[in-house]
Amino acid sequence: MSPVSKKSDKPTYWRSIAELEGRPEFEQFLEHEFAEPVSDLPPTSDERRRFMQIMGASFAFAGLTTGCRWEQDYILPQTRRPEGLIPGEPRYYTTSMDMGGYATGLLAKSYDGRPVKIEGNPNHPDSLGAANVFHQASVLELYDPDRSKGFGTYSGGKRTDSSKDEFIKAIKPLMAAHRSSQGKGFRILAESTSSRTVADMKRRLLAALPEAKWYEYEPVSADNIRLGSELAFGAAYRPNYAFDKAAIVVSLDSDFLGSERAAIRNAQSFMQGRMPEKGEMSRLYIIESAYSMTGGVADHRLPLRSEFVKAVAAALDAGISGKGSPSAEMGPAQARPAAAFLEDPKVQKFVAAIEKELLANKGKSIVIAGEQQPPEVHALVHRINAVLGNVGSTITYYPDFTADRLPHKDAIIQLGKEMASGAVDTLVIIGGNPVYNAPADVGFDAALAKVKNTIRVGLHEDETTMKSGWQVPLAHYLETWGDTRGYDGTIGIQQPLIAPLYGGPSVIELIALLLDDSTKEGLDLVKRTLAASMGDDRLWRKAVHDGVLLGSGLAPVQPVLKPLGAIALSDREKAGVAVGNGQLELTLAPCPKVHDGRYANNGWLQELPDPVLKLTWGNAALIGPATAKELGVDDQTLVKLTMNGATITIPAIIAPGQAPGSVRVVLGYGRTAVGVVGIGSRLDYGLIEDYAAEYGAGDLELVGVNAYPLKTTEFGRFGGGLNVQPTGDTMKLAMTQMTHAIKDKIGRDEVQRRVPELVREGTFEEFKEKPAFAQEKVEHKALLSLWQEPVSYDKHKWGLSIDLNKCTGCNACVVACVSENNIPVVGRSRVIQGREMQWIRIDVYFRGEPDEPELAYQPLTCHQCEHAPCEQVCPVGATMHSREGLNDMVYNRCIGTRYCSNNCPYKVRRFNYFNFHEELKLEKNQTKKMMFNPDVTVRFRGVMEKCTFCIQRIQNVKIKAKNTRRAIQDGEIVTACQQTCPTGAIVFGDLNDEKSRVRALQNGPRSYAMLEELNVRPRLKYLARVKNPNPELS
Amino acid sequence: MKRFVFPRWANKTVPLVGVVLGAAPVYLICLIWYGASPKTTDVGFEPKQPVPYSHALHAGELGIDCRYCHNTVEKAAMAAIPPTQTCMNCHARVRTKSAKLEPIRTSFQTGSAVEWKKVHDLPDYVYFNHSAHVTRGVGCVTCHGRIDQMAEVYQFAPLSMGWCLDCHRAPYKNLRPPEEVTNMAWTQPNGEDPVAYGKKLAEKNNLHPSTDCSTCHR
Repeated sequence: MSPVSKKSDKPTYWRSIAELEGRPEFEQFLEHEFAEPVSDLPPTSDERRRFMQIMGASFAFAGLTTGCRWEQDYILPQTRRPEGLIPGEPRYYTTSMDMGGYATGLLAKSYDGRPVKIEGNPNHPDSLGAANVFHQASVLELYDPDRSKGFGTYSGGKRTDSSKDEFIKAIKPLMAAHRSSQGKGFRILAESTSSRTVADMKRRLLAALPEAKWYEYEPVSADNIRLGSELAFGAAYRPNYAFDKAAIVVSLDSDFLGSERAAIRNAQSFMQGRMPEKGEMSRLYIIESAYSMTGGVADHRLPLRSEFVKAVAAALDAGISGKGSPSAEMGPAQARPAAAFLEDPKVQKFVAAIEKELLANKGKSIVIAGEQQPPEVHALVHRINAVLGNVGSTITYYPDFTADRLPHKDAIIQLGKEMASGAVDTLVIIGGNPVYNAPADVGFDAALAKVKNTIRVGLHEDETTMKSGWQVPLAHYLETWGDTRGYDGTIGIQQPLIAPLYGGPSVIELIALLLDDSTKEGLDLVKRTLAASMGDDRLWRKAVHDGVLLGSGLAPVQPVLKPLGAIALSDREKAGVAVGNGQLELTLAPCPKVHDGRYANNGWLQELPDPVLKLTWGNAALIGPATAKELGVDDQTLVKLTMNGATITIPAIIAPGQAPGSVRVVLGYGRTAVGVVGIGSRLDYGLIEDYAAEYGAGDLELVGVNAYPLKTTEFGRFGGGLNVQPTGDTMKLAMTQMTHAIKDKIGRDEVQRRVPELVREGTFEEFKEKPAFAQEKVEHKALLSLWQEPVSYDKHKWGLSIDLNKCTGCNACVVACVSENNIPVVGRSRVIQGREMQWIRIDVYFRGEPDEPELAYQPLTCHQCEHAPCEQVCPVGATMHSREGLNDMVYNRCIGTRYCSNNCPYKVRRFNYFNFHEELKLEKNQTKKMMFNPDVTVRFRGVMEKCTFCIQRIQNVKIKAKNTRRAIQDGEIVTACQQTCPTGAIVFGDLNDEKSRVRALQNGPRSYAMLEELNVRPRLKYLARVKNPNPELS
Repeated sequence: MKRFVFPRWANKTVPLVGVVLGAAPVYLICLIWYGASPKTTDVGFEPKQPVPYSHALHAGELGIDCRYCHNTVEKAAMAAIPPTQTCMNCHARVRTKSAKLEPIRTSFQTGSAVEWKKVHDLPDYVYFNHSAHVTRGVGCVTCHGRIDQMAEVYQFAPLSMGWCLDCHRAPYKNLRPPEEVTNMAWTQPNGEDPVAYGKKLAEKNNLHPSTDCSTCHR
């Protein structure tokens, strides 16, 4: 590896706060911040309590002994307490969450009937105990005050409140009429789902209304995998990968560790094969257009336009089938495509290296194509894997149990046509948001106007609701009974954690209502469907307890490859790397934070920095450095993107590692109707009413830019012909990457010098030669202490180990921490000021050429130093050293000097500049109070906070263990971040316990402490990153 | 317009003002020192409960163990106010017509909770765990006083941070065998010195109460 890992010296994503000065919105904000007299605010409960105490004291002194006290609290016990339930103690219930027709089993932690945190269900094959950002943030979605509350009718975008009874009254004659006409003109447009009960209800509905049709649409779909399988095998199968058994993994534009289905199980099995201590490490090659999480962990990455992947796959097939040994039934290999870009020396070398490695590792490799790639690429990849003999060893196939539905694209086209022709009388839209995210050329919005009756069933009152007739509040998955299926078909059970907050039905209950089914309750409907699988009530109870019906996964099949004809390549797909403006490639991808837009009203996700560029609150056009120079685009300049006859204006980011000639925009932003979070980017979270009063509601800016207008039915997820036109304006983006940037040259040079000491990387060869390579990166004098050791740490000595080799930057730990520790959301303008509050920050370091950099993730949280610089400067003893070596943060002592943060070398302390829970005073936000973890103090304005190593979890386990006079087992205390990490990169434990994993890891050769030369003795240590590059390519 | 002039006798009040100004700091310090102390503000707090439940009768006279009602005290942070069901275990048969028990019967029939007033109310940033104290041999009486003699429960101890720390630093005189925690009248056997006896118990039960901030503040 190169001796200096340096941050790509591209124009910094965002330079300094000073630069912001002089900008009207910033000045306005400053004015707002300081000109507002604090005394105008009504006293908070703490202030009031203090006041009452003092008043009480003076009365008491005057001889009035009673009568003045703080607010009276009440205790309301249950009338009949269920057996085993202990008030104030958390209980865990299994459930599962479906997203786009693929479900993950979860555990929901519930306090006194309130679900407060989502974790993974270890029994479920798609979770294995881990949960991703969407799963964990779904608890905020449940309590979202902007959810649809109650039945209503819409006309011209104006809501009239109604009720369930009125709804039933209205649909009765409607359904009767449809019944008599065999369901002619009756259509349902639903989100994709894996539920067997929904499938059963669909069957019943179509039996009762034979002329009716049921369509499923997802804007971000994995249908191409299914279509590719049909092309290759003649039937729909789902490939399942055993990455741990593979020596070589080649990803063709596939983000299999990040945004694609089964990412959690993929990440887990992939990282099993990436442990250098095992003596063997897999090697990952990736060809992709924009940096993905998978690209971040790859050993070799080639930035290439997505449209070129087809020719690469054909070239690989030509090379491999030629030299491999395809059986006769497989048909002839592809001819080597005559594509100009393949002649590029860099590309040629890369593809040749892949080919050689794959041939050398037959039966021990995996080639995987991205879900956005066309079916032909998937068919080619199936073929390559078969020829290499990977099928059966590293790849197995499951039948695709959703094969009987129309592909999403065809479904929306067909429905759009029917609607436009006036053939649809009644349309029931369940979930989804087609007005916002249907392909632009379907003209869904206009066609919807021709439908007589529209019944919209959704969690939020969104763009589609505004154009619909009836709005039915959909129950959240945490409120309903249901069933789901995992990637391999494993049946998961959804059980309600709480009664529906707004009385809405679930999807199955709604269909039962429409059909006037004799079975009405969700539980009965699910039981009815699953009766065949578990007729016995004991089996059902066990399935509910486990969250899954164990062993219900489908059996792998042995698909037989069909001969594949010659793959046609268009001119664009054969072109050279260089491309002019007007012919650029545009790739549209689901956002790693709001997915297709469905989580736009989720503050936790909006404020999450995206895995690579650390962008929060919005999206941008990602343009590679070289391309940007050609186009005359600078960082954060507004550009007009024109394609498919539509134009959007969006800020640009110069993105390291973006393929030349390719522009990436993520979907899911620019929502116009969803709730205060999703539509008010300029606003501070939760204070939209104040702002609207001040500036007028018309002045609201949306969060990000809607890229769906560029998406047509033909276009899919990427395509050529994009024109980029800078407008000359700029727009500030809320990126956290440079929050702690140092401005002057000396500082920058020192940062450059230090980065390779902070994030230590090496190669597998280096590791084999010298396992402790990372520990010799920094030379320092003997570290002597200035004072006698104040604490002996003779009981417990908590430590944390983070394996940089296993981190994929997926952000699951960040959301877990936010959820566990009641961390507030601060809003876009404060993120721009560098005031984000997340306790875990995942730093990203780029290295090498800006156009083809390597990338390293480094999660940072409080290091719990033994010689803690923060403790030494606190004037009020608000951060104190504990006997177990933690830097305890005492919120009630903190007076907000922020000295500790100034003195922290890791910059992991966060300050509450405002009372971020002000919004809870509003009547409509009361549901949000239910979301807080009662084991953690909710902090007030003016208080410093930071990672505590989940002190509440430590204390609870310690107390429980000592109650029964037993020792704490290693692995019994699990921090929130560790619990959810899909790859097990984070390990917490007692360093005094000789058998603990964390001790073994911290004493291991790869372990190093960050900034250990400062002699702060951090308790958090990293395991150096080990890459496994191909010597022929470096 | 006539100017206002203080009458001559007002001069006599000047020394008085001096005395008041001189005494004011002393008064203020005393006011805050004693007046704002939890000993003054909190001890003795005795709200009127919706049901005149007498611990003196149930725990004292009838000798019902604390844990019959507060049955989570050894397992959980909260000692759990009992559900209405617990009251009805006896009162379905005993004093079924009593007017005082009307709220209990209503609660049991309608399923709505009895709204008990919280007596021992700690700040929200303090995490007290009953099980951590009870299983280690700190008696109920140490913090709650002679509940078995209270007709209406009042706050016995200040529950201030200083008061907590006093015990966390030197818990010995408050320690007893864990099986005796609910015994309100317990004393050290054979009139042994409480501190010496407690030290033996602490040794035996491996008790080292922590004074780390995070013990109570999380």
